[in-house]
Amino acid sequence: MQRLIDSLIDGNRDAALTEARRLRAAGVPVERIVSEGLETAMEQVDAKCTVEAFNLLEIMLVGRAVTVVAGELYPRGAPPGRTRATVAIASPEGDVHDLGKNIVAMVLSGKGFRVVDLGRDCPLDTLLEGARREPVVAVLLSGLITTVIPQVRRVRPALAGRGLGSVKVVAGGAALRQASAEQLDVDYVAQTAFDGAHYLETLFPAVTS
Amino acid sequence: MNAIARVRAAVAFGETDRTPVIPQIFAHAAVLCGVPVGDYAHDGALLARCQMAAARHYGHDAVFAFMDAGVEAEAVGSVLRYHSAQYATVASYALAPDDAIDGLAVPDPHVAGRMPELLRAVTALRAGIGDELPVVAVVLGPMSLAQQLMGAEAALYLAADEPQRFEELLGFTTRVGLRHGQALLAAGAHVALVFEPAGSPAVVPPAYFRELLLPRLGELFSAFRQAGALATWLHIAGPTAPILGNYPRAGADIANIDYEVDPLDAARILPRTCLDGNLRSLSFVLDSPDEIGVECRRLAALFEARGGFILSSGCEIPLEARPENVAAMVAAVQSDS
Repeated sequence: MQRLIDSLIDGNRDAALTEARRLRAAGVPVERIVSEGLETAMEQVDAKCTVEAFNLLEIMLVGRAVTVVAGELYPRGAPPGRTRATVAIASPEGDVHDLGKNIVAMVLSGKGFRVVDLGRDCPLDTLLEGARREPVVAVLLSGLITTVIPQVRRVRPALAGRGLGSVKVVAGGAALRQASAEQLDVDYVAQTAFDGAHYLETLFPAVTS
Repeated sequence: MNAIARVRAAVAFGETDRTPVIPQIFAHAAVLCGVPVGDYAHDGALLARCQMAAARHYGHDAVFAFMDAGVEAEAVGSVLRYHSAQYATVASYALAPDDAIDGLAVPDPHVAGRMPELLRAVTALRAGIGDELPVVAVVLGPMSLAQQLMGAEAALYLAADEPQRFEELLGFTTRVGLRHGQALLAAGAHVALVFEPAGSPAVVPPAYFRELLLPRLGELFSAFRQAGALATWLHIAGPTAPILGNYPRAGADIANIDYEVDPLDAARILPRTCLDGNLRSLSFVLDSPDEIGVECRRLAALFEARGGFILSSGCEIPLEARPENVAAMVAAVQSDS
């Protein structure tokens, strides 16, 4: 298992995939590979990535390796009992950048959340419809440019207006993380992808069954 | 002391009549003048008029020749989508992940895309302000241009998966920046700023900056100095403390520091490099003029004895910044002079 963990932390997707296949061939159950391999690797990367020592490239590589292995283990997607909760993520309308959003989605998937990606430049109505349809426990908004702030401020009242007032709203990204939760009218402002994940993990603990 | 002399003195750690103040006003100048950002980004004469109007309005110490981060990429072949109230964005990239990099041609700044309009902007700025205010030409850095040519995600994966091809791409983007910057200086720009957000430690590990970017930044700055730049300026936003110590090797006269960098740490790491910064950009949207004034006076006082400092925003002044906040920044140092 350690070789799988090391390959994942190195972001070496080919080695990680080879190791995961070897473990499966040796009869190691999928659940154990996920809990002792993938989740352990994510925890170790998480511990390493403080606000001061966090870079997109390393997280992308780990996230890609985890995604490839998870796809091998669960070719039809993770079974419902394996997910903590479902969250929606988007870059608000007016912001076409999606690198940060994609990284957060990878980190959350690696930590056992089901992530509904509503895309970039996402209109408020699409966001609301996505939150209602799934349904989700949280909406995550990633913003690289400051001009989306008015859009972000509209989300929580709009959710409440549709009877979704219990859905948490989390903001992050280079522009939004400069503001406070009060200034954005959100529940939490994440400084990094892992910071946002910690907030959600506290609210929605891991599935232990 | 005019603004050029003030900036020149700050770069040389000489005496200045007051702290130089250069809020990084790009298309905020268009918004201030009621001009659509898309028009501003297409018309060099209009850009120059807006920049000069902003400089008259606020009284700060430099104007910028910068349309958006897509000028070079568009000239190479990326297709942009323009907007009236925000910067252009890339609609389709010039380079697919498997495309041959040697198939790309370095664009001629006198004919390609909007580059000639940017040259016209520099000419108009020099005609309007002469040698009173520095005209700062902004060139996109090699790593950021690579992302504009193939997408951020694809470029970063290329850096990790195929380092040799990525280096080939960086070689190309460096040549684009070099030719573009030299043309802007030849048109009359005083200062060459390399804008390299993708080189931030928030994006790539410091080793990538050191190994891949530093030599290429050195190439750019050396060429710009030979082309007559009064100063060279490296602009990387985010938590740059781990890479600041490399900046002198790149040949940067001015080092931008963002709000995430402690100014005293930066001064310790770069004892003989002029620093600019480091107000939080979003403060110009969300805070009050009083708060901005307090922070500006604090920063000016921190550097009073050291010198080598330009009061600035840590990154761009947002398009929708409150003008009274920008005015408060300039007033904070003018009132102390």
